[in-house]
Amino acid sequence: MKDRYDKYLEDREKYFDRVVRLGRRDFVKAAGAAAAAAIASSRLLPHSFQPVDVVNAAAPERSFRFAYVSDSHLYERTLNERFVRAILKAVDDVNALTPPPDFVLYGGDLAQLGQPAELGEGAEILKALKPKVRMMVGEHDWYLDMGEQWRTLFGKDVYSFDHKGVHFVVLNSVIVEDYWTGPKLTPMERMQAMAQLDNPNGRPFTVGDAQRDWLASDLAKVKPETPVIVFSHSPLYKIYKAWNFWTDDAEQVQKILSPFKTMTVIHGHTHQMLSNRIGNIHFHGMLSTAWPWPYAPQGLPKLTVRMNRSDPFDELDGCGDGTVDVFGNGRVDKQYNSWSRNPVRVSAAYLESDGATDPPARESDVNY
Amino acid sequence: MRTLATKSLAIGAALAAALAIPAVRAAETTVSLCDGESVMSIPGLKPGQVLPPDEARRVAVDMMQLWRKSQGETRWAAWTKEAEAARPEPAAAEEKQPTKFTARDQMLWKLEEKKWVEDGYKAFHNSKALGGTIGISCDMCHPDATNTHPETYPKFQTQLKKVALLRDQINWCIENPLKGKPLPDGDPALRAVEAYILSARKGVALEPGKH
Amino acid sequence: MRFNRVLVWAAALAVLAAGLARAGAPPVALPKSVPADLWELLIPPDNPVTPDKVALGRQLYFDKRISGDGTVSCATCHDPAKGFSDGKKVSEGVGGKKGTRNAPTILNAVFNEFQFWDGRASTLEEQAKGPMINPVEMGMASHDAVVQVVRADAGYRAEFQKLFGREATIEDIVAAIATFERAALTGESPFDRFVASDKSALSASAQRGWELWNGKARCNTCHPFGEATPNFSDNKFHNIGVSVQGRDFAAIARRASETPDPQQLAFHPDFTELGRYVATRQPKDIGAFKTPGLRDVALTAPYMHDGSQSTLPDVVSFYDKGGEANPYLDGGIVPLKLTEQEKQDLVAFMESLTGEGAGSPTRADLQPPKP
Repeated sequence: MKDRYDKYLEDREKYFDRVVRLGRRDFVKAAGAAAAAAIASSRLLPHSFQPVDVVNAAAPERSFRFAYVSDSHLYERTLNERFVRAILKAVDDVNALTPPPDFVLYGGDLAQLGQPAELGEGAEILKALKPKVRMMVGEHDWYLDMGEQWRTLFGKDVYSFDHKGVHFVVLNSVIVEDYWTGPKLTPMERMQAMAQLDNPNGRPFTVGDAQRDWLASDLAKVKPETPVIVFSHSPLYKIYKAWNFWTDDAEQVQKILSPFKTMTVIHGHTHQMLSNRIGNIHFHGMLSTAWPWPYAPQGLPKLTVRMNRSDPFDELDGCGDGTVDVFGNGRVDKQYNSWSRNPVRVSAAYLESDGATDPPARESDVNY
Repeated sequence: MRTLATKSLAIGAALAAALAIPAVRAAETTVSLCDGESVMSIPGLKPGQVLPPDEARRVAVDMMQLWRKSQGETRWAAWTKEAEAARPEPAAAEEKQPTKFTARDQMLWKLEEKKWVEDGYKAFHNSKALGGTIGISCDMCHPDATNTHPETYPKFQTQLKKVALLRDQINWCIENPLKGKPLPDGDPALRAVEAYILSARKGVALEPGKH
Repeated sequence: MRFNRVLVWAAALAVLAAGLARAGAPPVALPKSVPADLWELLIPPDNPVTPDKVALGRQLYFDKRISGDGTVSCATCHDPAKGFSDGKKVSEGVGGKKGTRNAPTILNAVFNEFQFWDGRASTLEEQAKGPMINPVEMGMASHDAVVQVVRADAGYRAEFQKLFGREATIEDIVAAIATFERAALTGESPFDRFVASDKSALSASAQRGWELWNGKARCNTCHPFGEATPNFSDNKFHNIGVSVQGRDFAAIARRASETPDPQQLAFHPDFTELGRYVATRQPKDIGAFKTPGLRDVALTAPYMHDGSQSTLPDVVSFYDKGGEANPYLDGGIVPLKLTEQEKQDLVAFMESLTGEGAGSPTRADLQPPKP
């Protein structure tokens, strides 16, 4: 365990090492940016030295942070209190963040079976979140009534917005081909078929033609240098088809996204830590508040540092929420607030360098 | 040289297709054998294109003929003979013990086994069938029975703090994440779930005690 | 360090499994229910247990001169008359100064992988050094001061010369005290007799309690009983929310998660509630305390690291309601929905863990030495 003083000396050495290489103008920029970053972040001690990378910021916008809560799979409280306790814990976590995040993303699958009581209960609970909430839909919310209740409660399922110089897009990436009309499934049967992750007859998620067209036209108005962050429930790449850790038209979607210099996708559905980079697109998964999925038997991106298996005795293990830091240049660091475990940060530098620098901490201490 | 020849004869057909070396010229691919001499071109095959299996086999057969021609008939005959002599005796088929049970019986057994596994699959995906009370089902943590590791039992189960069998752990899960009451040993739903889990791990070697 | 510990345990259990025969009887008489093989494996090779060393350690243990004002010995807070605790919520040291911790029992402490509620000491020797110089406990100026007191006594001089072949050093002093503690074992309780196949040894209520212990009440997850865990502790650290009561624990917990160095919060009034986190600096250890052993638990009220639960029924109710919510509550702590009868059964079970006969906590060789 390093002495505080040793760490101070180390940081100081690193700092001066880099400072020497800066030109005068950049030095002034760095000093200012470093001070701003120190204020913005809550983690830093006043005497720590800030990395000089901030000098490379292309855009003048200051960095900000948003939080996420995802995949709560709520049943009615009278049936299942455990999932309710979990989402309440996530709400507490977000509300306790200092400084408060700019907004909160809800990552989809608020309800387990899309029922009005479940969605209503979720909506009530999310009202307690102090920052503004941006909602995204998941398949468990949608397939009971094809999104009717969702739209009534939360509005559009597909939309975009701008925030502090970053363009955000929210997709409904759980569109599947019609599997219910032919066999004359009831709405609940349709929902339950979709709810089974390992359903051998499941249809793959897509963004779909119509939505891809909308995405292309929405992004046509955005300059390629503008940082873009896309929120999607399905991963927008292909991991494991049997569990729908998959977006069937991923390549086409990625084609629309790739012209943008700084492009990040934040996705739900997989209930685990996942990191990937395809071309210039960074992909980050979100934790679920309800339960963790095991890693798929194949298709795991090599950049992912796996979570250790979870302890079934511990209702919180493998679950969590988290935050996303957005820097001035649009680059994104993802922080996993993993309950019962130490937090893990997956940085843009790690993905950019293909795993060579700044690897996320591996779990050294297993829960069981 | 002899062993090389035998090997070539025995597996040459399979290797021939695998050794296809795409030529630089467009719309044509050249394949060669491991002797480095026998070369054949396949018109219409673009570099990087994959042959369908029957075509590949035909190419392999043609390649062997090419090689045979280059070696001469006497040598071919001698090597064929050697290859056959080298081929191991087909293992005496394990004599199946005579049984009074007929093929029809076996079919009926398979049907019943299948039913157990299907019942288990259903209970695995529907916690009410196991007495669960909060809507959490086994497949939520174990899609396709992932991470169940039935081949590692009996082992010291850390949740139970003692050595346990698979069904003991199933019962623990019923009691804890599923929030039901543990089922008695003979319960059909419990046994069906065990059957499904075991069937999902078919072919995996037994490793009791593996953690 | 941790990895080595795992190796030691693995080796220990391998030997246990192999059933290696040990030459001769153990150096001191052990209660029948204590696994002798395991006990012997836990004795450090550089501090073997001998009857003479136990006697010397016992003398030091009860010696009030090893304190700033001559009023406090180890036995003041770890009192044989009170199950080797002191019956107080938190202990009081020199000058009646109040600490922040409930005194854990030394009985069977040899089976703890870590000592202190936050586990910062990994041996009994290391632990013994702490209270001596703690200003609110024994209040000695330094370990040198302790050594001076011991060297000044002719009786000690002779004993140390005999046992260690030199003048007393602090290492030798704590070695002797630790040896006394290693011999302070209890057992042969009604539960032990039940496990050894005397089914009449436990009342029906206690037997139901034992079933609940391993079933609905989930106690065995952290307080297991087995060959390798005779003391009902998993030797791990859990946040069950004790720190929340009467404090704004969430506030310091969240501050701690954002402050890389916990020592920065040392002057915060609730600093001691950070528990294991102070030793490991792992955010998941915030507010986590060591799972204590439970033998003789009926004698060591009040309970928890701050003595906040007065009786065993209080403890059971605390767990039944799911502890106290806080940002780092162990996810295994959930409401149990026990019936009144079930709660009583659990208490009856815990009361059956008190040692008897050769394993009694009140036997003669654990009492203060005759002057």
